[in-house]
Amino acid sequence: MSRLRTLFLLPGAVTMVLLFAVPLAIVFIYSLLTRGAYFGLGPPWTLDNYARVWDPLYAGVLWRSLVEAGLASFICLVLGFPLALFISQAGPRKNLYLNLVMLPFWTSFLVRLYAWIFLLRDTGLVNTVLQNLGLIHEPLPMLYNDGAVMLGLVYGHLPFMVLPLYATLERLDRNLLEASADLGARPWTTLALVTLPLCRPGIIAGTVLVFIPALGAYLVPDLLGGGKSIMIGNVVQNQFTTARDWPFGAALSFAVMAVVLILMAVLARRGGEDLA
Amino acid sequence: MKRALGLYAACIYAFLHVPLLVLAVFSFNRSRFSTWGGFSLDWYAAIARDPTLREATANSLLIAVVSTVLATVVGTAASYAMWKRKSPLVSGALYASLVTPEIVTGVSLLAFYQWIFHYVHLQLGLWTVILAHVAFSIAFVVIVVNSRLKSFDATLEEAAMDLGATEWEAFWRVTLPSILPGVIAAALLAFTVSIDDYVITSFVAGVDSQTLPMVIYGMARRGVNPSVNAISTLIVTALGVLILVSERLQRVRE
Amino acid sequence: MNRRTFLMAVAGAAGCSSGGTLRLNVLNWSEYIAPDTIANFAREFDAQVRYGTFESVEEMLAKVATGNSGWDVVICTNNYIQPLSQAGLAVPLRHDWIPNAANLAARYQRPPWDPDLRWSIPYLCTSTGIISNSTIAPEPASWASFWEDRYHRRATMLDDPNEVIGACLLRFGHPLNSVDPAHLRQARDAAVDVKRLIRAYINAEGKDQVVAGDVMVAQMWSTTAQLAIDANSKLRFALPAEGYPLSCDNAVVLKESRRVELAHRFIDYVLRPQVGAGIAAAVKATTPNARAFELLPPAVKSSAALYPAADVLARGQWFEPLPPEGQRQRDRVWTEIKSA
Repeated sequence: MSRLRTLFLLPGAVTMVLLFAVPLAIVFIYSLLTRGAYFGLGPPWTLDNYARVWDPLYAGVLWRSLVEAGLASFICLVLGFPLALFISQAGPRKNLYLNLVMLPFWTSFLVRLYAWIFLLRDTGLVNTVLQNLGLIHEPLPMLYNDGAVMLGLVYGHLPFMVLPLYATLERLDRNLLEASADLGARPWTTLALVTLPLCRPGIIAGTVLVFIPALGAYLVPDLLGGGKSIMIGNVVQNQFTTARDWPFGAALSFAVMAVVLILMAVLARRGGEDLA
Repeated sequence: MKRALGLYAACIYAFLHVPLLVLAVFSFNRSRFSTWGGFSLDWYAAIARDPTLREATANSLLIAVVSTVLATVVGTAASYAMWKRKSPLVSGALYASLVTPEIVTGVSLLAFYQWIFHYVHLQLGLWTVILAHVAFSIAFVVIVVNSRLKSFDATLEEAAMDLGATEWEAFWRVTLPSILPGVIAAALLAFTVSIDDYVITSFVAGVDSQTLPMVIYGMARRGVNPSVNAISTLIVTALGVLILVSERLQRVRE
Repeated sequence: MNRRTFLMAVAGAAGCSSGGTLRLNVLNWSEYIAPDTIANFAREFDAQVRYGTFESVEEMLAKVATGNSGWDVVICTNNYIQPLSQAGLAVPLRHDWIPNAANLAARYQRPPWDPDLRWSIPYLCTSTGIISNSTIAPEPASWASFWEDRYHRRATMLDDPNEVIGACLLRFGHPLNSVDPAHLRQARDAAVDVKRLIRAYINAEGKDQVVAGDVMVAQMWSTTAQLAIDANSKLRFALPAEGYPLSCDNAVVLKESRRVELAHRFIDYVLRPQVGAGIAAAVKATTPNARAFELLPPAVKSSAALYPAADVLARGQWFEPLPPEGQRQRDRVWTEIKSA
């Protein structure tokens, strides 16, 4: 095969082996060991950690996280698609508009979540404004519930959807769209029958890029959800921090990763689409 | 349709930018808490006096720029290679790296570095952070570039080679320019995930490599902190100006 | 500096730091020192100090446990002192280098976690209690208050398993550090029950909403509470009648340190009455240093949250290291509470 291809693949392959596969193999070994008395880990070797993963307690949390991450991806797609379309049609200003989407994400997510808390809480901006306008008398409970968590997930991952969508929409052949219009299709018909199918790779990439980080989210449920419901990201995080049970945390992570990868593979096969 | 789209876009931009506005307003608040206590520039003065912040900002920018460049080059190349012919192993590893929880990536890299340090006399530092950032952002780059390559017409490249271009020339002159918007989007994404990473960085950072998210996290984990609002406002303003200026320059050139 | 280190590392030449001024690397909780402490120490001892911060003990332990973290002095919570020393990560302290240890209050000269101060020197202490808004009457002064309907959605608890489980255990008169399965079950049921009344589980960042009046009652650390009280005089802090958790952060010199003497000098420096008072006043935490206490401003000295009366202090219980099986049970209980 071509030498260029090998040359191009090599740096990526080496990086993935050295900085991902080998380190992950170490964590896999961790998952077969026993936790230390207070921290750290060591022999004896055991499969006990994987046995504990089957506890329905964790399956329940995982299921809820999958649903929430799926919903967040869907909302991001619905919200992000028109925006990506707008940017891709903005002509010479498209880089400016694209950068404006990313700009908020170059400051700490934690700090932006505090801003949302200020907007949503009882004495926060939104409630104060609504009360002063006489629209409501009691503050609306907008913070520390499932809605706030969903808002945070969508807010935090929207650009991950917009970027790949933009990348495919930007090269969409305008002639195809015009042809569709010339043939009498209404704008909505063109959108549904021409535009959407053509940017399928972008939709898939965007969904993957939102779904996966949303599944592992832990800051949003903690800060906007008030820690009252947890996602699987919190449970994993907990094992490596407060619970100090690295072997179990590792086993749990591998189980979650397996579920997600299998899910992605099945969806990809059913969609007749190869992910990479 | 076009106007409706513009109006819609304005709403989404508002949704994305309102929190920044809140930050900016509170950075001028005299009070330490999120109740208005009068206008003040104290917090800007406070951060100007803080050497840790300057150093952390420099570290963060250096790490983000270097790791973005590396990840974009390596990731784009790998993506192109896999577009030519699939490599299930590499793409499998990339997807696995994407689904690995951040904290596991952090723990695994720390363990890996410590293992290396048994044999080579080195310590955690900026370079360990940069390598970690490259490792976790490659997958993002590959996915975005790949989605763009999928809609690239392979016959164009073949045509170029039929006309006598080498493989490299076909890539450099035909394919790359055509997928460039995808590469730029990928680089933006890599920069974004690098500049705000806290979990992985906190594991692999050494004595000399505190980053801005680490410092901010430290200051903000205890609640709203006006100094943090002030830094955030400064960063956003600086980057916003940079974006506008580059936009102006581009238009002047055209 | 950083970029130079980076380039050196790239060239494979890192690790051999050049001579000149002394260097010292100190790792501490964030926001846990006075603004000028490090600079003053560096000037006096002609040392270059690298000061880093961490957000959770586990994050610190993960690095320190490798034995190659680069830090010399770390601040560590009392229930980890024994694990840290047993793992061989700390050096036995040389008290001839820390004469100022004599400034510590009697209670901290022989603390239960390190009776001879062989491995650690107390730095700052906190306790966990209840902060409330005085518009609420009567003042909630026991953990049982959280189960009262009148605080519906106006109360918060800490987002920390040991604190929430601890408060529930104490409510039923069980020891703070209990790992008895029956006790834990009872605590879990109570915690799940109170969840419907609780607005959120939040840590120090919750002080903002306590100050603003969104939250009327909160389980809170004394340090955070004092900062909130300073901002809103309507707030008050109670150390519950059933008993309450105490914890103490201690300075430890790591085994890996190549600057053991300077590390000791640093610990001795923060034990100076003036320096210790400066830190305690800035951080609003309880100083274990009796002579530093004398120098505190009267307003800080009289804080009931930080310096409670002797009979109140006697009700406090120290967090202790828990056996692995107990930790595992508690973690499962915590996951059950959070996902209920």
